[in-house]
Amino acid sequence: MNNQNIKILLIDDEIEFISTLAERLELRGYSSKTAEDGESGISMVAKESFDVVILDLMMPGLNGLDALRQIKILDAALPVILLTGHGSTKDGMEGMRIGAFDFLMKPLDINDLLEKIKLAVNESPKG
Amino acid sequence: MKKSNDKAAFLGSITASVTHEIQNVLAIIKETSGLMEDFLKMNQAQDLSDLEERLNGCIETIKRQAYRGVALTSGLNGFAHTSDNAQDSINIYKTIEKMISIASRLFVQKGFSVSIIQSNKKDLIVTDPILFQMIIFLCIECLIDTFQTKAAITIDIQSIENRSAIKFLYVNTDLRYKDCEQQVMQDDHWIKICDLSTHLGISAKAYADSPGILLLFK
Repeated sequence: MNNQNIKILLIDDEIEFISTLAERLELRGYSSKTAEDGESGISMVAKESFDVVILDLMMPGLNGLDALRQIKILDAALPVILLTGHGSTKDGMEGMRIGAFDFLMKPLDINDLLEKIKLAVNESPKG
Repeated sequence: MKKSNDKAAFLGSITASVTHEIQNVLAIIKETSGLMEDFLKMNQAQDLSDLEERLNGCIETIKRQAYRGVALTSGLNGFAHTSDNAQDSINIYKTIEKMISIASRLFVQKGFSVSIIQSNKKDLIVTDPILFQMIIFLCIECLIDTFQTKAAITIDIQSIENRSAIKFLYVNTDLRYKDCEQQVMQDDHWIKICDLSTHLGISAKAYADSPGILLLFK
């Protein structure tokens, strides 16, 4: 699958973060959409098809792990890459136990993220 | 020993919340500077007619986040320095205002907004500043955990019989509550509130007919 066909959903309450990241991904040919909280992200997953979800763990309202659980109920095969601002890997590991593809620490390295997206798409049963 | 453990846990939870937010600020600055690099690379390949506009947009974002970061680190620094003296003279209003500002992300995560009613009162008390902030934090957490439904909590500083009083009110006009006092007193935070209030020479009371807590200074 080339970048043009990869559709990414970014879920994070830090609006300037996801809008900037979405723009950077689009400059690299990816198609991206954003959601500012877990609830609207889940509703987008229910309505549209995505190849990868990038999900922040710490959000007001529905937290990242709960959002992950609901996304997995809607689409078990959809790869989810978690983002965490915590200094520890505990929540990321918990997320992987629930079914996340992998996790990355904030601040991100865009090349690490692109690598994870490629791996997630290639290893996904959807790919 | 237990008090110092509780203090450390309180300082830790506030610090973790603020540093998490600082990570977000840094993440935005990093992505925005990366986007500027992307634009400059694109401009080398093909002239971008709106390059200046794009870069200016990025600069504004970075400036905004830098101000946010400064506010966060200043707040955290001020909070950390409240532990300099075991006893200090503090302004009740200003101390609570700063504490809820620095802890706001923790409350927002749970769907609550916490605010203090404007007051020009200059009520000063001599107390342990960290333990004082801890009891304020515990009262808020107690109401959040007890009543759970997302709402607002307002804090009001008043004088009752010439004594300083702090009222915490859980405000949700859509719901009716029964046995508020019992519900608050069954929450795990209540034991800690009672313990700390004894230590600080404050009396703590849960309201019977509305969701709220009163701290009354002796």
